[in-house]
Amino acid sequence: MKKTPFALLITLGLLHTPLSALAATAPLDLVGPVSDYKIYVTEQLDLLADNTQQFTDAVKKGDLAAAKKLYAPTRVHYESIEPIAELFSDLDASIDSRVDDHEQGVKAPDFTGFHRIEYSLFSENSTQGLNELADGLSKDVQDLQKRVAGLTFPPEKVVGGAASLMEEVAATKISGEEDRYSHTDLYDFQGNVDGAKKIFDLFRSQIQQSDQAFAAKVDKNFATVDRILAKYRTQDGGFETYDKIKDNDRKALIGPVNTLAEDLSTLRGKLGLN
Amino acid sequence: MSDSENSLDPFNLQRRRVLLGMGVAGAALAGGALSCPAMAASGGQNVQVTQAPSSDKTRDRHDYYDQHQNGILTPRPAAGMLVAFDVLASDRQDLERLFRTLNQRIAFLVKGGPAPHADPRLPPPDSGILGPQVTPDNLTVTVSVGASLFDERFGLATAKPKRLSRMQGFPNDALEPAQCHGDLSLQFCAHTADTNIHALRDIVKNLPDLLLVRWKQEGTVPPQAPTKPGEPAQSARNFLGFRDGSANPDSTDNSLMNSIVWVGPETDEPHWAVNGSYQAVRIIRNFVERWDRTPLQEQQSIFGRNKASGAPMDGAHETDVPDYSNDPDGKVTRLDAHIRLANPRTAQTRNSLILRRPFNYSNGVNKNGQLDMGLLFICYQSDLEQGFIAVQTRLNGEPLEEYLKPVGGGYFFTLPGVRDEQDFIGRSLLNAAAPVANA
Repeated sequence: MKKTPFALLITLGLLHTPLSALAATAPLDLVGPVSDYKIYVTEQLDLLADNTQQFTDAVKKGDLAAAKKLYAPTRVHYESIEPIAELFSDLDASIDSRVDDHEQGVKAPDFTGFHRIEYSLFSENSTQGLNELADGLSKDVQDLQKRVAGLTFPPEKVVGGAASLMEEVAATKISGEEDRYSHTDLYDFQGNVDGAKKIFDLFRSQIQQSDQAFAAKVDKNFATVDRILAKYRTQDGGFETYDKIKDNDRKALIGPVNTLAEDLSTLRGKLGLN
Repeated sequence: MSDSENSLDPFNLQRRRVLLGMGVAGAALAGGALSCPAMAASGGQNVQVTQAPSSDKTRDRHDYYDQHQNGILTPRPAAGMLVAFDVLASDRQDLERLFRTLNQRIAFLVKGGPAPHADPRLPPPDSGILGPQVTPDNLTVTVSVGASLFDERFGLATAKPKRLSRMQGFPNDALEPAQCHGDLSLQFCAHTADTNIHALRDIVKNLPDLLLVRWKQEGTVPPQAPTKPGEPAQSARNFLGFRDGSANPDSTDNSLMNSIVWVGPETDEPHWAVNGSYQAVRIIRNFVERWDRTPLQEQQSIFGRNKASGAPMDGAHETDVPDYSNDPDGKVTRLDAHIRLANPRTAQTRNSLILRRPFNYSNGVNKNGQLDMGLLFICYQSDLEQGFIAVQTRLNGEPLEEYLKPVGGGYFFTLPGVRDEQDFIGRSLLNAAAPVANA
């Protein structure tokens, strides 16, 4: 690490905004966390690609039971890195769009990806006619992997990702509408929360320096969410279906989730990012 | 109570003249003035399509500090909104934080002033929908609590108002769980819907860990043309086309309000509840297509009033009091007419008087293509059982039910007012029950 700050930033592909725009925060402080985050995303994408291969193989072989079992644990890796995955809106639409995104519903020709396959597996109990959709998903995930590898991670997108993951939870996970056919929403829920917590952990030392109480409050709310989610873990490391969640637990999750969304929305500003 | 200041913003002067001119013309022509505003507004003025409607009433405001809360006897403005919440507080301490924060936000919102702001790299603390200067716009926010707040969570069971219960369905109800009940209700009233929404968003943003919106219903009151000097003001119409609130007790009569609306010191209610009131809320869908296909005389006999004037069947003016003593068989006013069942005007039913404060609502379209609209019914009374519940029980089976379907609502207790800046909303309730020992 003998490089100058500038050289280091350029090497890591982080310097896409002029230094002066980063204002109050020493930009060098962000280099480590952002490159660590890229490593995390890369690992998650490797897992996503491997699992997607197994999942789509099972679909194509017509192994309904195996496909159903692999559905949720596969897509959890997508959910945990959504702020980066969403930078590629074409792939996000083809991989992760939900039936509500399509006026023609399940019959819409551009309704593809995880949730379209989920519909066939869990609502129709069938793997019939899914070959093309399975191949498409597999190809899209590999494409995503390639694109992310060549991506310069914008620090504000990384830091802002913590809040957007909690917005995802508040908007579509609490209501149980993400995985409406499989009811495996709690996997995605945990994936979003883990992804947000990862980002917060990476920038923890900078945050703690400026606002110890804020960091403690965020930690407390993450811990509350994890504790409630843990009640719904199953023996195999997975989760119960969303309809099993008790009303008082669902309500107990809403406060911390909304507060995390509210608090993490200040993270960019607190780190002096524009 | 209302101190409308002189608004003389220079850029508004020209338009103010137009508006004032219209006002005079409107008053002179009384009921027939409806064609005037359109003509006046385009009368050679250089007015752009997107120019905002102008009002000199945005600075109307109410003093927050009083023994009673505002929004009950306060004249009902054009826009209302009832929002019910689940309280997410986990203990008594959190509940106190909830009330104190709520108090602080409401005190600011009803007074107005510069919107809170922050470093532009942070999310703005104010939604900005009223601009950098928050205008009070006649806003009132009325805080009430539901029976469920008195469960085991906060140790408030012993302080529960005697007649506060969870709303039970009446025979004609089709209650939708997602539109019923709540730990807390906030009634927002202002000149414009945007002011109510601004206040709601402010409260939601400031209390993310303590409050969760459970349901919300907005409504309106259509402004009435000015009446001639000496003539009484006329009640607004509901979506069935009838004047609503004609028989309301006189809300300017303090001693009447002390018996009908406010919980007084000489009752069996807990002492903290004095100067509070019971709030009954009902979302009552109207089958308007069917109603519009019903002969006028049948509509009138179902209500017991003349549709155009609002007069009772034996009267000429809306304000005439019906006399049922000469009509024991219902030949003039049907025995099952809405107004006769609701208020039979007998000595025995005097104690069931309520203060109505309803709003019309329009939500969209049902699956069958029929309009989803009706009445956001809100009423206040010192005794929920002798008030709304008794009235609604008398109405069970009324012919009007064919055109109505109550789908939501709840019962709440409206807290006493906030005395001064040292006081806060809910303080007397929290002080009344011994604090629970928290683990």
